[in-house]
Amino acid sequence: MTEVYSIDPLIINTPYEITYKHSYGKTTKFFTSLSSGKLTATRCDHCKKTFLPPRSDCPYCLAETRWVEISGKGTIHTFSTLYFSGERFLKDLPFQLVYVDLEGVDTLFLTRLKTKDMKKVKVGMKIKMKISREPEWRSSDVWAEPDE
Amino acid sequence: MPRKVAVVAGGLSYFSKSRRDKTQEELAAEAARMALFDNDINLSKDEIDGTIVSYFSDHFENQLLFGSIIQDYLGFNPKPSVRIEGGGATGGLAVRDAYAHVASGLLDVAMVIGFEKMSEVNTAKGNEFIALASDTDWDFPIGGFYSGYYALMARRHMEEFGTTEEQMAMVAVKNRNNAQHNKFAQTNPKMNPYGMKDGGKITMDDVLKSPYVAFPLKRLDICLMSDGAAVLILASEEKAKKITDTPIWITGTGAGTDAMRAGDRPRTVAGVPMLPHEKKEWYRKLEYPGVHSFRAGRESARQAYNMAGITNPLKQLDLIELHDAYTSSEIQTYEDLGLTKYGQGGKLIEEGITALDGDLPVNPSGGLIGTMHAVGATGVMQGVEMFWQLQGVAGKFHGSDKTQIKNAERGLIHSHAGTGTYVTATIMER
Repeated sequence: MTEVYSIDPLIINTPYEITYKHSYGKTTKFFTSLSSGKLTATRCDHCKKTFLPPRSDCPYCLAETRWVEISGKGTIHTFSTLYFSGERFLKDLPFQLVYVDLEGVDTLFLTRLKTKDMKKVKVGMKIKMKISREPEWRSSDVWAEPDE
Repeated sequence: MPRKVAVVAGGLSYFSKSRRDKTQEELAAEAARMALFDNDINLSKDEIDGTIVSYFSDHFENQLLFGSIIQDYLGFNPKPSVRIEGGGATGGLAVRDAYAHVASGLLDVAMVIGFEKMSEVNTAKGNEFIALASDTDWDFPIGGFYSGYYALMARRHMEEFGTTEEQMAMVAVKNRNNAQHNKFAQTNPKMNPYGMKDGGKITMDDVLKSPYVAFPLKRLDICLMSDGAAVLILASEEKAKKITDTPIWITGTGAGTDAMRAGDRPRTVAGVPMLPHEKKEWYRKLEYPGVHSFRAGRESARQAYNMAGITNPLKQLDLIELHDAYTSSEIQTYEDLGLTKYGQGGKLIEEGITALDGDLPVNPSGGLIGTMHAVGATGVMQGVEMFWQLQGVAGKFHGSDKTQIKNAERGLIHSHAGTGTYVTATIMER
């Protein structure tokens, strides 16, 4: 039965739910590598660039890239603490977002920083990437922690 | 050779957090009626040859092909119509597309119809829809929220150049307070019957003490979410001269792009695309664009200036309507548009250059922070505002003379999507 929210103007509640069969395509390997404890990125040998998030095809020359393992160590390029978010993440608030500059990677990687002491966070701080033991098969299966 | 193209009329709806009194098509009609009947023009609705329909998200009303509903509702069938979508830059892209339609001869008179109704879902869901305009495989699952992405970019701008939260707050005060003289503005409860009750003027203290949404951005550093519509009418030179004695010419337009994931953008030393008035040695050490600057904005400006023959924007522009989604992005954009050197954007606001009474007022309308961000309408609203300003009738439409920039002859409208993913810049002249 339709739920009526207001009479004048007439406003009705219309729910909407959907499940997508979403494929990660060739970047599937990033997620399967995580289950063996490996953090991987893709590299174009021609352009000498390493990408994370991985790209199966190099945006500079359109050659196919290859998988490389990376150390997961790096530094914070910039950070923010969030006190509000989209609906899906309200339950996590507050949390910290960072762009990390990872060893051997040419792009910056957006991830969460998990730390007990948010006040110590600064640009240039050393971090290491962690891998979840209970994968959700999303990019949030990895995150950064201070590398002390 | 492209034909000369003029803007000949503009109209706006009142903007509001929630316009439950009208449907989306009724809001579009509100703006279209103003464009056709409240401007001093000799033009009947039947002389419009086609429409460019500008709206961002199919999710907000759960309706696909809304453009067709608008075309029918406003009575333009069976004439040509096209829907334009490009995130936050939807409106700017639509104005540019209308320019292309008229310049090419496809249409003689084109109506751009921009609208969005964001209030049918709650604010957190609305923010989630907006965040779906970020990479949903990699960026969204981390905590998808645009204010978070902009906070990261703002923090890096601070690190790179020493920009301060106080400078950002100055942008908020300027735009919000400009909006208090614009009756269409959502934050103007005195003049807008649908205005927010807790709107009105703000002070530096109000901004700096407003709660953090995503450090360093606070509630008052962040633009509005709105319901509303904006309509602009463009015409060929021959038609324009019959329609109005004061056509406003589009003399330049540019569009730039950058990686959806801001982290994928290069950090090239000395990689700044130069504007005519700039010197290479200014940026010898700067890694560009990184996440602190918008390469798409620079590229759009470079093209538009080149087309309009602008070699020193600070001197040759009289006003700008700039996509101030965040106070930080207004400061970043000053630099992309070449109003000042990269790194000096914060100083520009501090020196009052972009104030209503400054050398180059930015967002006299109130912008996205003071007036509206009904996404698909936003870039079109900027076109309407610039049109009224250059005709010298902004005061009449705003309901206050305070916003009219005296003797304004040339201005720029800047429309911006994503984390600087699509950006357009368009030059309009008297």
